[in-house]
Amino acid sequence: MAKGEILAGFLAPHPPHLVYGENPPQNEPRSQGGWEPLRWAYERARKSIEELKPDVLLVHSPHWMTHVGHHFLGVPRLSGKSVDPIFPNLFRYNFALDVDVELAEACAAEAAESGLVTQMMRNPNFRVDYGTITTLHMIRPQWDIPVVGISANNSPYYLNTKEGLGEMDLLGKATRRAIEKTGRRAVLLASNTLCHFHFHEEPEIPEDMSCEHPQNYAGYQWDMRIIDLLRRGRTKEVFELLPTFIEEAFAEIKSGAFTWMFAAMDYPEIPAELHGYGTVIGTGNAVMEWNLARLAEAARGQAA
Amino acid sequence: MPIVAAIILPGLPHPVLKPEISAWAQIAAASAAAGKALAAARPDSLLIYSTQWIAVLDQLWQARPEMDGIHVDENWYELGDLPFHIRTDTALAEACIAGTAEIGIRSKPVDYDSFPVDTGTLVAQHFLNEDAALPVVSTSNNLYHDWHKTEALGGVARSVAEKTGKRVAAIGVGGLSSRMFRAPIDPHTDHFAEPGDDAANRALLSRFEAGDCDGVRRQSADMAAAMPTDFGLKHLAFLLGATGGDFKGATVHGYGPIYGTGAAAVELHL
Repeated sequence: MAKGEILAGFLAPHPPHLVYGENPPQNEPRSQGGWEPLRWAYERARKSIEELKPDVLLVHSPHWMTHVGHHFLGVPRLSGKSVDPIFPNLFRYNFALDVDVELAEACAAEAAESGLVTQMMRNPNFRVDYGTITTLHMIRPQWDIPVVGISANNSPYYLNTKEGLGEMDLLGKATRRAIEKTGRRAVLLASNTLCHFHFHEEPEIPEDMSCEHPQNYAGYQWDMRIIDLLRRGRTKEVFELLPTFIEEAFAEIKSGAFTWMFAAMDYPEIPAELHGYGTVIGTGNAVMEWNLARLAEAARGQAA
Repeated sequence: MPIVAAIILPGLPHPVLKPEISAWAQIAAASAAAGKALAAARPDSLLIYSTQWIAVLDQLWQARPEMDGIHVDENWYELGDLPFHIRTDTALAEACIAGTAEIGIRSKPVDYDSFPVDTGTLVAQHFLNEDAALPVVSTSNNLYHDWHKTEALGGVARSVAEKTGKRVAAIGVGGLSSRMFRAPIDPHTDHFAEPGDDAANRALLSRFEAGDCDGVRRQSADMAAAMPTDFGLKHLAFLLGATGGDFKGATVHGYGPIYGTGAAAVELHL
């Protein structure tokens, strides 16, 4: 078996509004559009996925929140209707997905080897959370690539940010080892918003974009600072700033997906491709890509 | 008196799904005893506030006339499924929604197929109303509402019940101390995650037993400031609002740990 590799990582936030705005057949509510710059950002990310042709998509979602350890979807096929408990008016999505159980088990085993508490989710009636589904739909609406779904253990909230993100670092490294050992060509999806300050009331027409803007100016400035650093490949600096960013911008990346993804990619100091940025009920959302496969190909080309 | 019963129940699913575990069996028995006390009060409807139904925008109220399904908890899926059937008192729900506007809280009805009813509401339904004989009004825990606002919300429910003339039982679903074990345990050895949590929980329950409403408020605030509690014990605030703080004492039908957290089934004497 060839050694597996991580082809790319994406910051791939999960506001259900993006699915609602797109009007796919799986989602019951109908919209008049909305949030186009972010949806077009995902269109560009979809093109990359099409070119990369990964074996598997791994997604870490803050909306599958587990208290006892890090959990992994462990049923070969899951289906049902996922209704967002916060935005049921926008997201009632009929999903069906295939799980790469072998890789999920390998990730769980590697993480356990690192001292983390892990658990495989084996209940076939389990309803997959809307964060996982939104990110997966937005990045690959064909649903033709198996997935590994990973829960957000509440360690950054239960312990403290540093200790919690320390666990996510271990989880990311374990994920990389599992991918390499199982020979998978994998794409990682960090399902996180940046600044998470939001409005507390919805406009009467949710997709009325005249009501959409950053809820918090300081949070917006933080988002731009972080995105600018990421676009320049200054990963180390970003992670030095991360605890302050999380605290001052109420950033959702506290839940761990961002750290998990970067740890799995070994914190590459490479420029990110920003596919787009936009707000959703005032929160800051960036769709960004770190294409390791393209980088490796360029390196091979230079060597030749 | 429109509020004819007031009950506190823990919302974790363990006593429903694994009653053979002795620690959880006593909570199950206590919850069933609270259910008997509730039935004796002959309510027309149940009013349920569950800490596990999280809302962020607006105050959400369940408005779907009937709901059936199988619920799987996102944490405790390995313990089994929770099948459910719920009838909603839609008239009372609509009245509550209209009533909250008067105290500056924007409410919304929720009427969607497959809406994910939270585990706490279903645990209460299991112990208090398993055959769905009584219609229910259930409402959410808005994360941005503090104790004071949640108590006011309970007060709205009381005044609405008064206007409708219905006999309503108020149910606050949630735990006490919420410090949970972060690694798997042998359930047969379940105990409090910290001894201090047990002491704080007992102090809180003693305030209920003494009919000391202000003492409940103080102890709840002290606990929420000093240790992890179930969403600041806002389900207790809702109950105080719903009863107007007018309870003479309480019967603690049972109290113990669930995976390290504090759980109690309590009947307030009105």
